[in-house]
Amino acid sequence: MIQMILCGRGGQGIVFLTRLLGDIATRKGLDVISSETHGMAVRGGSINSHLKIGSFSSPLVRWGHADYLLSMDMLETGNNRQFLKEGGVVFENSPVASESGLFRVDAARIARSIGRIQLENVVLLGFSAFLGNLEVSVEDIRARLSQDPRESVRNYNIKALDAGVKVGSAMKTTGGSTG
Amino acid sequence: MSDAKNESAVLNRFLMGNEAIARGVIESGCSLATAYPGTPSSEIMESLVRWKTELKSSIYLEWSINEKVAFEVAYGGSLAGKRCAVAMKMVGLNVASDPFTSAAYLGIRGGLVIIVADDPGPHSSQTEQDSRFFSWFAKVPVFDPGSPAEALEMTIKAFDLSEKYQVPVMLRPCLRVCHARQNVTISHPRSQINIGAFEKNWTRWAATPKFRLALHGELNRKIETISSTEIFALPKLIAGDSQSSRIVITSGSVSSHVRDVVSSEAKMSGLSVYKVDLPYPANHSALQSLVDSKTETLIVEETYPVMELQIGNRTKVKGRMSGAVPRQGELDPEAVERIISGFVGLKPKDFEAPNLKVRRPSLCAGCPHRPAFFMIKKLFNGAIYAGDIGCYTLGVNLGAVDTCLCMGASIGMACGFAQAAKQGQDGELVVATIGDSTFFHAGVPALINAVHTGANFVLVLMDNNITAMTGGQPTPATALTADGSKAVPIDMERLIRGCGVEFLEAVDPYDYHALENTLKAAKSFSHEKKAGVSVVITRRPCIRSKNAAVSKTKFQVGENCDKCMTCVRDLECPAISFVKQNKNVRIDPDLCAGCGFCVEVCPSKAISVWGI
Repeated sequence: MIQMILCGRGGQGIVFLTRLLGDIATRKGLDVISSETHGMAVRGGSINSHLKIGSFSSPLVRWGHADYLLSMDMLETGNNRQFLKEGGVVFENSPVASESGLFRVDAARIARSIGRIQLENVVLLGFSAFLGNLEVSVEDIRARLSQDPRESVRNYNIKALDAGVKVGSAMKTTGGSTG
Repeated sequence: MSDAKNESAVLNRFLMGNEAIARGVIESGCSLATAYPGTPSSEIMESLVRWKTELKSSIYLEWSINEKVAFEVAYGGSLAGKRCAVAMKMVGLNVASDPFTSAAYLGIRGGLVIIVADDPGPHSSQTEQDSRFFSWFAKVPVFDPGSPAEALEMTIKAFDLSEKYQVPVMLRPCLRVCHARQNVTISHPRSQINIGAFEKNWTRWAATPKFRLALHGELNRKIETISSTEIFALPKLIAGDSQSSRIVITSGSVSSHVRDVVSSEAKMSGLSVYKVDLPYPANHSALQSLVDSKTETLIVEETYPVMELQIGNRTKVKGRMSGAVPRQGELDPEAVERIISGFVGLKPKDFEAPNLKVRRPSLCAGCPHRPAFFMIKKLFNGAIYAGDIGCYTLGVNLGAVDTCLCMGASIGMACGFAQAAKQGQDGELVVATIGDSTFFHAGVPALINAVHTGANFVLVLMDNNITAMTGGQPTPATALTADGSKAVPIDMERLIRGCGVEFLEAVDPYDYHALENTLKAAKSFSHEKKAGVSVVITRRPCIRSKNAAVSKTKFQVGENCDKCMTCVRDLECPAISFVKQNKNVRIDPDLCAGCGFCVEVCPSKAISVWGI
């Protein structure tokens, strides 16, 4: 049983991440339900999606019930904090240093260095899946991304995933002090 | 839902509610489906196209010109003996209401399911009307699914019920079903059902008023039978036990929040929850006896009190009529917790609304509508700007949209503003804006009306060759139909000429000077010469479509910038912002789409190509 919120700005690949995680959970035989934002809000506006793995009926996470917040944007972290439960963990895309309960990775910079800013969501995913217990592991995600029939997409995604994992792994060894 | 795995189950897939509904349509043996795009319904037709390909089905699919036509096409198919479906959003049903209400009297032949997606909240709609009331008004049974998995099952049940009673049946998913995703079990489709060719019978299919009276009686009898005999019309226990003295009755997408809240809060464990799958016509006597047998009942349904009003004696009922449930707004899990806490006498948890800094939606960087709005504002300063429904509603950010009523209303309302101007407020400038899909949908009759009555205004038709806001569906001007087969594209210019418009120019909105000159000429025609409606087509593909010629050129702000804020404030491009820290205007290279319109907009000529 796990509940999470994925948030960011329209165009940052929030819906892609939600579908990816839900699809993997489904293939693992888990019950999973989520809710996406579509329409006008997607035009660069604030966007969040809810994802619940386990025996839930409602696709929405209630305030104070999310285990994790995966945030593509610092400002949106603030807009979605109310969903987080006490002791819940935030994984955030930002260049700032991490702090207690808030693990940060400069996913945008890493994505640019790989060659595509669009990969920042996958970098954050690798980072979050390594550090958190999302019910879907880094290996599950890698296996799923490896199935993309487009070779270039596949390679870029795996690179981005591994780059995120690498930052997460460095952070784990240094006890969370890496920026 | 995992208990529903039957033998014919072929796969477990992570499906959006709209994909699950489309799957249900295909699995039901449906032969024809139509739709007009609108959030949150749009993905139903898109998914039908994908299922059609995946299953090599021969189902006929179309994006119709509007919802009324979509309904009529599906109705025709039903009379021809085929199972048919039509999908739209709830305000689309307003457009289709004429054939919808009449078809209920006449009845159907092949099963006919009307899928109407509601948007409580409303998240991307003009109203949060409850389509179940429309089904009640038309006397059409309505299924109210609570999850994507249930939506698939109910779609199939809806076809069966429709054929059994020869009435149209509505499926009313809410946004939280349409855009929820869930692991869903899918099955092999039935082969397409055909109940036999059209049988002429003018007393039914072309009934005159005298026969309509008899048909109304027939419809009333069908509804009464469904209400009193069908299992879907009965309240069923979904949480707690039947011995509880206090109960909650619920329906539709909100029922899933009710179930999660009640089952996760220990203090609510004394409650039991009942759900009604068919809230109209609900089994009102069963509802009444359930209510009478308990100390107290809370009714939680979205958006209007449809089941609540079917209970005759509500002295022991709390709900919208008693004020226990708010009369507007989405019933999200927080609202549900608040309502149920109040019902069981608990002090609701202190929900302090967070201090949100939500970004407002904006036209995309490089959107061809932005320069059009910018130029309208520049040349028609102080005019009345009649706007319409679509991406271009966001022209409100540029100060170039004053009204937004419903699809096609910009032209009709501009006609009203222009006629009012003739009665004394002479000199009032009126500019209407509308997109290509909306123009075809409901703008054409309004344009004919405006030309015919001699209204003087400028109509800017923003043609991006797509229905952009709902995700890029084709329009009648597209040479392809929904499933990619060949279509006859409608020539917009010939259509507009045919409406009697004399001033008609098409221009690329990226071309600053051509845009300026064309709009000036239109202004002169309609407002100086008072020679009638002028139409300017601003034509360029949506920046998000595959036809868009996106430039790789990026732009930057140079040292000449005097911080006049014209680009930030008047152009409102999301790529351009004022950076407080170093007090500079900056163009974000990640967001810049390279349209270059800002180069012309900048009064101090400070914007140039990146790297030069």
